[in-house]
Amino acid sequence: MPPHAADIRSPFDIHRGASAPRLAADRTPPSAETLCKWLRDMMLIREFEVRCMQAYQDKKIGGFCHIYIGQEAVAVGCVAAMKPEDPLVTAYRDHGHALARGMTPEACMSEMFGRVDGCAKGKGGSMHMFDKTHNMFGGHGIVGAQTPLGAGLAFATKYEDEVLRKGKSSRVTLCFLGDGALNQGAVHEAMNLAGLMDLPVVFVVENNGYSMGTSIHRGTTQGHDLRSKASGYGIDSAIVDGMDVLETYHGMKTVIDDARARSRPWFIDMRCYRYKGHSMSDPRKYRTRDEEDAWETGDPIGRLNKQLQKQGILSEEQAKDMLREVKNEVRACVAFADASPIPAAEELYTDVFVESWGRYTGSSKPSMLGGGTNHPSFKSIDPSTDSTEDLV
Amino acid sequence: MPISVNMPRLSDTMEAGTIVRWSVKVGDAVTSGQVIADIETDKATMEMPVFDDGRIASLLVPAGQSVKVGTLIAVIAQEGEPLESAARAATAVATAAQATPSVPNSSTTATKSDSDASMVAGATAESSDEWAAVRGASVRVSPVARRMAEEHDISLGSLQGSGPGGRIIKRDVQIAMENTRSRSAPATGASELAIPVVANQRPSGGLVIAGLESESVPVSSKRQIIARRLVESKSTIPHYQVSMKFDLDQLMAMREQLNVDLASVGIKLSVNDFIVRGCALAMAKHPYVNASWAGDSISLHTQVNVGIAVALDESEGGGLVVAVLRDADRKSLRAISAEAKAMGEKARTRGLSLDDMADSTFTVSNLGMFGVEHFTAIINPPNSAILACGAAIKQPVIRNDALTVGYEMVATLSSDHRVIDGAMAARWLNTLKHSLEHPATLLV
Amino acid sequence: MSALREIEYRDALREAMSEEMRRDAKVFLLGEEVAEYNGAYKVSKGMLDEFGPRRIIDTPISESGFAGLAIGAAMQGLRPIVEFMSWSFSLVAADPILNNAPKMLYMSGGQFGCPIVFRGNDGAGGQLGSTHSWCVEGMFSNVPGMKMVIPATPDDAKGLLKTAIRDDDPVFFLESERMLGLKGHVPEGDEILVPFGQARIRREGTDCTLASWGRPVHFCLEAADALAKEGISCEVIDLRSIRPLDIGSVVRSVKKTSVCVVVDQSWSFGSPGSELAAQVHRHCFDDLDNFVHRVHTADVPSPYAFNLEQEYLPNARRICEAVRAATYNA
Repeated sequence: MPPHAADIRSPFDIHRGASAPRLAADRTPPSAETLCKWLRDMMLIREFEVRCMQAYQDKKIGGFCHIYIGQEAVAVGCVAAMKPEDPLVTAYRDHGHALARGMTPEACMSEMFGRVDGCAKGKGGSMHMFDKTHNMFGGHGIVGAQTPLGAGLAFATKYEDEVLRKGKSSRVTLCFLGDGALNQGAVHEAMNLAGLMDLPVVFVVENNGYSMGTSIHRGTTQGHDLRSKASGYGIDSAIVDGMDVLETYHGMKTVIDDARARSRPWFIDMRCYRYKGHSMSDPRKYRTRDEEDAWETGDPIGRLNKQLQKQGILSEEQAKDMLREVKNEVRACVAFADASPIPAAEELYTDVFVESWGRYTGSSKPSMLGGGTNHPSFKSIDPSTDSTEDLV
Repeated sequence: MPISVNMPRLSDTMEAGTIVRWSVKVGDAVTSGQVIADIETDKATMEMPVFDDGRIASLLVPAGQSVKVGTLIAVIAQEGEPLESAARAATAVATAAQATPSVPNSSTTATKSDSDASMVAGATAESSDEWAAVRGASVRVSPVARRMAEEHDISLGSLQGSGPGGRIIKRDVQIAMENTRSRSAPATGASELAIPVVANQRPSGGLVIAGLESESVPVSSKRQIIARRLVESKSTIPHYQVSMKFDLDQLMAMREQLNVDLASVGIKLSVNDFIVRGCALAMAKHPYVNASWAGDSISLHTQVNVGIAVALDESEGGGLVVAVLRDADRKSLRAISAEAKAMGEKARTRGLSLDDMADSTFTVSNLGMFGVEHFTAIINPPNSAILACGAAIKQPVIRNDALTVGYEMVATLSSDHRVIDGAMAARWLNTLKHSLEHPATLLV
Repeated sequence: MSALREIEYRDALREAMSEEMRRDAKVFLLGEEVAEYNGAYKVSKGMLDEFGPRRIIDTPISESGFAGLAIGAAMQGLRPIVEFMSWSFSLVAADPILNNAPKMLYMSGGQFGCPIVFRGNDGAGGQLGSTHSWCVEGMFSNVPGMKMVIPATPDDAKGLLKTAIRDDDPVFFLESERMLGLKGHVPEGDEILVPFGQARIRREGTDCTLASWGRPVHFCLEAADALAKEGISCEVIDLRSIRPLDIGSVVRSVKKTSVCVVVDQSWSFGSPGSELAAQVHRHCFDDLDNFVHRVHTADVPSPYAFNLEQEYLPNARRICEAVRAATYNA
């Protein structure tokens, strides 16, 4: 049985306490230009992921690699509903979020290639995409681990706005997680804290129906409607259609605006589907071709493309040009990553500590032997005697 | 397989050798027979050839260092072998071989005094005694004790370790240093001046003499070995001396005449040549003087190989080597003379070869050329006797009950009492006396 | 001159936090019972009154959640102090404190640091049994990217905690329930800080170097007193921080004494004590008269019975035995 049927659309459906005021969905239509940008962003992510798969098979990319194909509308629609200053944190299937947030394909691909031009200089890898300038607080490799961090980011923005600036909380954190993460304790602790502390964080569960190879019905209670998870913590929740970027945007815009206004957490059951396996080594034996086909007929990129052409916003020719352009851009970013230098061996020892210790040499800190101010009441130890000369 | 090159035994008595210099370096190609090093033994500096073709993979002992015979000193990689792996493999084999376990004393239970052992029951192998068998019988020394002993020139061999399993620890070295200090402190009473005290048992048996200022001169390994062997000889062989006076009137006259007659062919006989010949011939009648103590038996040698002690120049650090005249009993006086002269020259210039020094059965030491009248010598093992000859001195003598002027020489035979009894020594001296006093017998 | 001011270890901790919170509004304290209850061990007593509930924050019993939350806040630029009532409870927060905090800077290529202090009681309290007596330094000090501080006296507790709060990297600050009531002179002054990576010689001696940190430093001093009567002179070195480790001070001492005994209240296998011993062997190989001896807690779960717990600890008697063995006086 498919986790949630592809042929049944998932209309925006809010679930909140009976006493809560009604919340109308923000259906303000985006401009034609914006719609075209979303189409292009989704195409870019898909093309990028295709090339990732190729590069992975060419052994240009090592380790684990989780492909986002099928879920492009989620990242693009959510980011469109955010403000640039809103923090975003996600799990390990993170290329799409990074690109949607504004990381260049060059930095993203170079990171996966383990090169110096990567967003983390080649030290993070596919699962750990960080981009401080775009308030992208990382992909995180441990299932559910980013959820308390997301609560913490919301705590921090709220603290900055209210305690430090004595103002009103103004930012909302988007914290993405998969449906599999719902079974991790940290997620529930984070939701409890967010509810308790009125944290402006939206937990977006990208519910693609599978935690690795386990269908949601085999791993999670209340799999048919995950909103019941949130109600236990007093958190408002909604089902959002993650296969339609417009639906995603409208739903998320409504939710984020509310979270911002009231400084309250939200929980989103984002219905979507990943076309590829959990990771590159996944043969997808746990589901049928028919199921995959059914979902792919509702493909978010095809849907928006068709819609824009139908509305006369985009000609068929223009759509083809757009795709050609995106393909070229991604090809170029692969070439860029391939040409980017590997990190110098010295990089192994940098970024371990913020504080300047000189070169980090392991568990001891020789340079500190001569530094620091001795506590006046302490017996002075001369750190510069020759006996430490060999302490390198 | 890489080829191991071990310190060769280059003399019969050699136990250790010093690499004087390497004539190859790592990476050099070598062929069988090529000399790769000069090695100083207890007796000489020798060239060391190799027996295989290949390339030098490693040289494990630096020049100047002395190591025991059999110690791995170099590794040769055979054709096609990478140098590094060859060096590693050979070194590992050597290490394993050196760690040949002595029989572990299973009755000795490990002392679990260290706190770790009690904490991780059975898991902590740091406690010392379990590893004794692996380490072998070498002296156990704590690192700081080893360093301090080196710095203060204290022989670890002279110390009794007080640590677990006899480990020499810092305290043991400190006590030894303290003792040395108190002994070498300026004397305060006459009694302390009387007899120098043996501070320790270094191989040289060095004496530290109270109150004397001295300059310390490093000794060569050759001298170390000479020193050790002489101490060993003097302290383990029951020496005794028998002296006899020899009338050399006839011998001196004959020698003078022969030297005049043979001058044209470049021959100049020395008194010692006659003595050597006389000694060699005497052995036929007294085989025990041409013998060796072999622990539970006595070896009577069938060959008579007379060693001649040759003093090396003091300016070269001195030292004593023994040149061996093989089958001296079957050689003419002329042959003996020629050979002794050549050997003496070689010893002082190029150095004697292994063959030149091997297999002596008896030794003659002669200080006559220095005008010495009488002295005693220390037996040169494995010989049982050594003859110490003074000078043939022209002096008032009694001949046929009349006082006249003649040549006399005193010679002293040092003998190993385990092999040669006093009477035996006396009889041998009489035989020698007869031949030296009737020198014509030496010519036939 | 007035008598030297003496305060308890817990007061020193509070002074450090309060002074730093007055200095920097980004600093806040969160943990179980830190606010309205005035601290489970009264370390944060009165702080709620001064700083209010936005900065002194009671959390539910939810270590994984609030530790992770604090890390997220630190990534955004705040400077959280996370109080674990006991480090034993930090194990349920192992993923955030070990997998996130110390690695964030590195895996983000230097973009996101994590200026955070985790602090709380470490080690055996008093008959708390197996689950509540953890010495986490054995496990946690294994992780690069974090600093670990274990003060033994009130003045160090204050000076080091202030340094920890100002440090831009994650600091694991290990206190001890048994030392919270310890009184000692703590100089007054907002700017008296103790740097990391500088050991403190607690007692000078010539025959044996005793290297330790945290509560066992006091066991060492006790042992040194007893051993002095036997004619064995011990030099007691308090490392104060495990990461960074002031190996230089230990090496200087061992070069003098030739003997080293490491006293560590964590388990022996793969511990800071074994690391220190290895480093001493490395740097002092030719200076040692014996292998470095170690005294740890016994290699068993923490027992409950009073006498067993005392025997389990690296107590003065066991230290004396180790020193005698190491100095060949056994």
